[in-house]
Amino acid sequence: MSEEQPEVLKPLKTWSHLAGNRKRPSEYEIVSTNLHYHTDNPENPFELDSDIPMADWYRKNCLGSSLKHDDWNAFRDPDQLIYRTYNLLQDGQETYVTGLFDQFNERGHDQMLNDEWVAKLARFYTPARYLFHTIQLGSAYIQQLAPASTITNCATYQTADSLRWLSHTAYRTRELANAYPGLGFGENERTLWENDSIWQGFRELTEKALVAWDWAEAFVAFNLIAKPAVEEAVIVQLGDVARSEEDTLLGLLTQAQMRDAERHRRWASALVKMALETEGNLDVLNGWVAKWLPLGDAAIDAYCTELPDGDNAAIDAKNGVKTFIESLGLTA
Amino acid sequence: MAILEREEWYDLTRTTNWTTKFVTEEEFYPDEMSGHRGIPAEAWETYDEPYKVTYAEYVATQREKDAGVYSVKAALERDAFVDRADPGWVSTMIAHYGAIALAEYAASIAEAKMARFAKAPGNRNMAVFGMMDENRHGQIQLFYPHANVKRNRQWDWAHKAYHTNEWAAIAARSLFDDIMMTRDAVATSIMLTFAFETGFTNMQFLGLAADAAETGDHTFASLISSIQTDESRHAQQGAPSLKILIANGKKEEAQNLIDTAIWRAWKLFTALTGPILDYYTPLESRKESFKEFMLEWIVAQFERQLLDLGLDKPWYWDQFISDLDETHHGMHLGIWFWRPTVWWDPAAGVTPNEREWLEEKYPGWNNTWGECWDVIVDNLQNGKPELTGPETLPTICNMCQLPIVGTPGQGWNVKDHQLEHNGRLYHFGSEVDMKIFQMDPERYQNHMSFIDRFLAGEIQPMDLGGGLKYMGLSPGEMGDDAHGYSWLEAYSTKKSDDAA
Repeated sequence: MSEEQPEVLKPLKTWSHLAGNRKRPSEYEIVSTNLHYHTDNPENPFELDSDIPMADWYRKNCLGSSLKHDDWNAFRDPDQLIYRTYNLLQDGQETYVTGLFDQFNERGHDQMLNDEWVAKLARFYTPARYLFHTIQLGSAYIQQLAPASTITNCATYQTADSLRWLSHTAYRTRELANAYPGLGFGENERTLWENDSIWQGFRELTEKALVAWDWAEAFVAFNLIAKPAVEEAVIVQLGDVARSEEDTLLGLLTQAQMRDAERHRRWASALVKMALETEGNLDVLNGWVAKWLPLGDAAIDAYCTELPDGDNAAIDAKNGVKTFIESLGLTA
Repeated sequence: MAILEREEWYDLTRTTNWTTKFVTEEEFYPDEMSGHRGIPAEAWETYDEPYKVTYAEYVATQREKDAGVYSVKAALERDAFVDRADPGWVSTMIAHYGAIALAEYAASIAEAKMARFAKAPGNRNMAVFGMMDENRHGQIQLFYPHANVKRNRQWDWAHKAYHTNEWAAIAARSLFDDIMMTRDAVATSIMLTFAFETGFTNMQFLGLAADAAETGDHTFASLISSIQTDESRHAQQGAPSLKILIANGKKEEAQNLIDTAIWRAWKLFTALTGPILDYYTPLESRKESFKEFMLEWIVAQFERQLLDLGLDKPWYWDQFISDLDETHHGMHLGIWFWRPTVWWDPAAGVTPNEREWLEEKYPGWNNTWGECWDVIVDNLQNGKPELTGPETLPTICNMCQLPIVGTPGQGWNVKDHQLEHNGRLYHFGSEVDMKIFQMDPERYQNHMSFIDRFLAGEIQPMDLGGGLKYMGLSPGEMGDDAHGYSWLEAYSTKKSDDAA
């Protein structure tokens, strides 16, 4: 073992892959960067026969995506969230929401709602459990197919946030069922999700987006179209109506959820910005926006036009999505 | 109470299956990703996760756990335990982080696969928390070793190992890619969570945590025992899947998945955990032998759980039990002999006192592995260290990607199990490794082991130096004896004592 050897490597101040950077790495960079090993060998992602179906799936839908970049690992989450800080952040947020639930329940909030609004909640609000679940599924798909761990991490926390929204909805569904037995709360949501016209646009959009297997197309379909459409319609517009119906609880809850959505839009914006560094990607992204936006707009129309002052709600929601897409330098 | 109890609303969070309309159910849940095996959605909806947690409970609990673990780290970092720890223990940590951190992170992807593709809504939600847990375990097990990169270049391998073709990294990827990265959601719940996490992570995390506490490494002990609290929750995703498979006539398939995963995990542990627990950990800090831990955490646990579920012990169980006395000693001897090819410094762990312990725990050790170590000790004492290191490469198993080992000396049973398949000759370390290959050759057949790559000329120059370069190992990273051979002094002392 004592043959002529190259020089003995000296210890470094950080991981060797970060050692060339001028800045001292943050905790975020230390624990988040270059963690995917299955993207190291594009020919064969896994240490198994290279022809197994999962190897094909990753070759095609991860590194074989139509969206190209020489170094996806250079992506950084603008919020620099890591697991530890995510839980600090969201435990604080959940303490706030649980406080709302507690306080509003204490003062008999649900019993004071007007009957017409309660019927609207059964139709426009509680079936959203299914819709939020589609975002959970879509985010989990982006998580597993993204070509860099820093992208995967953003999708990881977005998946958990979607389960958070679903959980709020489930919780409120049970409270409303307790306050209004016989109105179908906790029972009719699936039927409404599958049959009520107001949900069919979102159902079509998300079912189709959930089989967009190219990771970057899934990202566009969810993070640039479906999520903003859901947020603008089922969170922002419904929240506005709730406030005007004196459902302060739903008004505050939707505002709390929008803080997650705003964070998701920040990382989505950063990722689009990075993608646009590569020639050809603008056309790819615009192509996907052109494919998915009509479904997003149709979903908003189907849902919002049935809301009180529905036409304006639909216009506002569609504008919200359009403004977001245009802020990314894309064509809506 | 103005707050609802979890039981009152929990079921609604997992009432989330619907009938798709705009795409077919098969498009939505492709069998290759979902693994529903034709079992209808209603059957998957009976999935009942034993450990229930809500989002709010999860973030609160995990915040608290991290606060505890990170504050212990901060307090103990000032203490610089690593600088005065036994070198064998330092090697334990370096080997552990390199072999574990990125695999845990990768497990978050496997969890996300269940979160997207499981037809069981309860599984989908629990896998979101599992995905979060593994995100934690990847991150925290990078943050801890990063504090030590300034000490020695081997610590860099906590991040680097999985990105290299170092042979142990290839073996680790081979296992984890097989049981979690390339399986459908249902198989993942069984192979990763039921077979691997229920037993084997207990071994790695609780076994090692017990030894860590004994050595005084409270940072490491608190870290890995905290990790295990997550594992023991998300490991419970597999059993409900098994129940559904069994109830729907898929018992044999379920059994095969378990048999494969347990054997493959066992083999990696013989190279990773066996040497750590029985050789690297300082003698006075060893709580139990590897075999004792295995009997307690793996054998007893699986025997009970498998029977409870109506499954059988794996067909190779008798061989497995007898291998508990053998395989890891061979792996340890091989790793120490080929020490430049690993990213940590293996501790020999064979002073006369340690041999006494080994003989007590593994009767017959001195007449078998002991004889090999006698030769090594003689060569070192006689100034012939070159005879205690490699000039060639070992034969590698085409299944586990680990060296083919057996019992040497008076118990000689080393055997290369060979199989010709489609005109290619494959080598296996055991009948079980070969059988796993034969059950599903398409998963493995065109894969090249380290030796196959060497023989194919992919590794140049074709010598040890070329092999080290291919593995990404440079001086400063390559392993050497953890104690700088100082343990030989115990033999000199013993000789003079014997002479007196």
